[in-house]
Amino acid sequence: MTAHTTQRSRRAFFLQGGAVLGAGVASTVGAAALTPANAKAPDEHSKNLQQQLNDFANREAIRQLHLTFTSRLEHQAYEHLPDLFDEHAHVQLSGVAAAGKPAIARLFAEQYRNQQAPVMHGAYRPNALQQNDALTLNESGSHASATYHVDVQVNTPLQGDCTAAQMARLQGQMADCRWESGRLEASYVKTRGEWKIASLRYLPS
Amino acid sequence: MSTRNYKPLQMHRIPYTDLTEEQVTQALRPTASGPASRYPLSNVLAGKRLKIVTDAGGPTLEYHFRTGRELELSENGGKRVKAGYGALESRNLVLVSHMIPGTQRGYKLVVDQHSRLATVFEVYFSGYAEQEIAAAKAANREPQFKNGRRNREAQRRIWFGYVEGDGPAPTARHTFTNRMEGKGIYWRQDNDIEILEFYLSILYSNFIELTRFGGEMTVCAPSDYIMVSDHQFIYSRIECEFSGTYTLQIVDLFDMTQAGVRLGLNEKDELEYYMYTGQGELTGQIATFEVFGNNGETRGPRRVYRPIETFDVMTDDEVKEQVLNHAHAFGDGKGSGAAGMGGYKSERITHFAGKKLTVRMDNGGPVIDYEFVDGGKLKWRYEGDSHWREAWYEMYEPDDKLYFFAHLLDAEFPRSCAMVAIDLKNGLSTVVKGTTGTPFRNNETTPTYYFGVFEMEGAPTPPTYLRHGWTDEMVGEAVTWNYQPGNPGLTSMHFYATPTTYSWIIFQPDGSGGMQWSSPGWYSKLRDGVYIMAWVEEACNGTLGVICFNKRTMHDAGFGYHVGRNGLSLSVVGARARHAGKFDIKKYIGLKG
Repeated sequence: MTAHTTQRSRRAFFLQGGAVLGAGVASTVGAAALTPANAKAPDEHSKNLQQQLNDFANREAIRQLHLTFTSRLEHQAYEHLPDLFDEHAHVQLSGVAAAGKPAIARLFAEQYRNQQAPVMHGAYRPNALQQNDALTLNESGSHASATYHVDVQVNTPLQGDCTAAQMARLQGQMADCRWESGRLEASYVKTRGEWKIASLRYLPS
Repeated sequence: MSTRNYKPLQMHRIPYTDLTEEQVTQALRPTASGPASRYPLSNVLAGKRLKIVTDAGGPTLEYHFRTGRELELSENGGKRVKAGYGALESRNLVLVSHMIPGTQRGYKLVVDQHSRLATVFEVYFSGYAEQEIAAAKAANREPQFKNGRRNREAQRRIWFGYVEGDGPAPTARHTFTNRMEGKGIYWRQDNDIEILEFYLSILYSNFIELTRFGGEMTVCAPSDYIMVSDHQFIYSRIECEFSGTYTLQIVDLFDMTQAGVRLGLNEKDELEYYMYTGQGELTGQIATFEVFGNNGETRGPRRVYRPIETFDVMTDDEVKEQVLNHAHAFGDGKGSGAAGMGGYKSERITHFAGKKLTVRMDNGGPVIDYEFVDGGKLKWRYEGDSHWREAWYEMYEPDDKLYFFAHLLDAEFPRSCAMVAIDLKNGLSTVVKGTTGTPFRNNETTPTYYFGVFEMEGAPTPPTYLRHGWTDEMVGEAVTWNYQPGNPGLTSMHFYATPTTYSWIIFQPDGSGGMQWSSPGWYSKLRDGVYIMAWVEEACNGTLGVICFNKRTMHDAGFGYHVGRNGLSLSVVGARARHAGKFDIKKYIGLKG
């Protein structure tokens, strides 16, 4: 997986994807009109452009997948998180781990939903190290890996089952909420044309 | 103080009828002609036409107020319908209330005749089931209707907007607010209803029904607070978990007046739909805990706490099994952890090991001999009984040489515990005996207070006549309790509303008041500034909480007694307090101020 590594800012990584794609399409049109006689064979040129387009499409799909994950987690749509994972995926978020899609579903639907996990991630924000974010696609476009430098909201659930704790939980409250810097290491797999998260691991700085 | 009409059942004990949609439709039929009122309503809108445009997908309402009591309405350009209505003025504001004949819904409008701003409340019935089904689907669970479909419970949608008129549409809007938070007001309505209202949360309020229920209990209701100006507010509440009645009123803090409407079905399933005015007296303003600059305008959704719906009622046999075979006091001697309400428990007192004492309660109350085996285990027996029992205990010192300990009593059904305060400065003692069960639910608890003395080697000779006793000194006080460390930790605010009740407010992460509930509560005085307060979370969690509160240290030592499907537990309560303020309300509930 060395063929197509990108290192640039998260903003560029995520937000300029569309612009880059646009530039690529534009250059395709331009290139077709102005191809000199000694240029590479049209087939090879088209192949390269097609590869670029595929890359852009894959990056956009992975971008959407990552945003969907962070958005659903932040909005506590826990029951809809497992859809984003591969059948054999594994996650490890501040020591709370699960392997396999059914276990990941239980992690979010039970441990997160009922605030039974000892520590829960509440939200992610790009941090000052985001320029070191990286996304790597393998040549066949079937696997990818990414690093996201983030600040993570680390929540410690309330203990006990007294009425006050029950009411606080209903308000989405935690015993302790703090922000911590670290990075998410993710890998992705494309199955039946759709990208899924194959692994997701959080590492504190 | 006027004559009080006490009711045999307080709101949380009334078995409100689970009416069908058809029954609600029938009950609401008289609303077609508009609200009643003791005094003439306003004609300010008679002959006028108003088009109200609302934001965020809300309705466009075109009104023709044909007379002072009859209107025509077209919703979103639809067919015109006729309805009776009522209107009240409050300075520049007009409050309008009407239902749509043949339906279970209608509108309350607050229109500002100067700014042309308007807030629209669509109020409807038979909407709970739909919400519950949607919530269950979102959470991937089965909908729950343990206490029925609650068709009688009013629901509301709120839209902010303006009245179309000459010139450009105003861009300002009424907003949600926290500017009412912390206030208490006594109201006397023009129909002689007296009520104490407390706005201690930005999502809830609590009130004491002086006229309708005698003023014994305070109850809580999910509420909305909307700011019109620095002195004009819209306040509304729904008596969820109870009758489901809807109340909306304009509150003017300059002249302390109100103009309101009440719509719902009372405990006899009779329609109450009337408008009223009232005169208020500010009873106090306590502290609020948001950071400065947080005005509550983006308050988030207003959730409803439904303890009656979620309370797990157990059978006799189920409770018996738990209290006999799954009873645990203080982790069976391993000590109460910092979980729940004990995160700030004080240092445990263990130096009674080897001591003996006898607590002797008055008037046939319990007389119990104790031998403290070590710092966590004691032996006890009723005086005259040769049989000593062993029990786990924990002891704390909430004030100098004032000790408070607790342990389980005999393994019988129903099962009791003893929470014992002994004062080594004067020989006085108070025992709160907690027992499982109430006439309503087996897995609730009941406290019984006993006042008396104790005898122990080295302890002073107790007085003959003086005793700890009941007090109303706590009435009106509001105290925050931080139970668990962390940010925000677990923090609630107690509001000691009358000598027999209190309410608690759970703070939201931004420091604003959130969900709120209430229960009966009782107060006794041990020393100046030191009190025992007991409460039972009736129709809620069933728990008995008993704390010894020291107002000098702003700390407590106490115990929780609870039975549920996870067993019977006796655990410690220890929290840090802040004084939030006090309401001057004694005179309204028949106490000397």
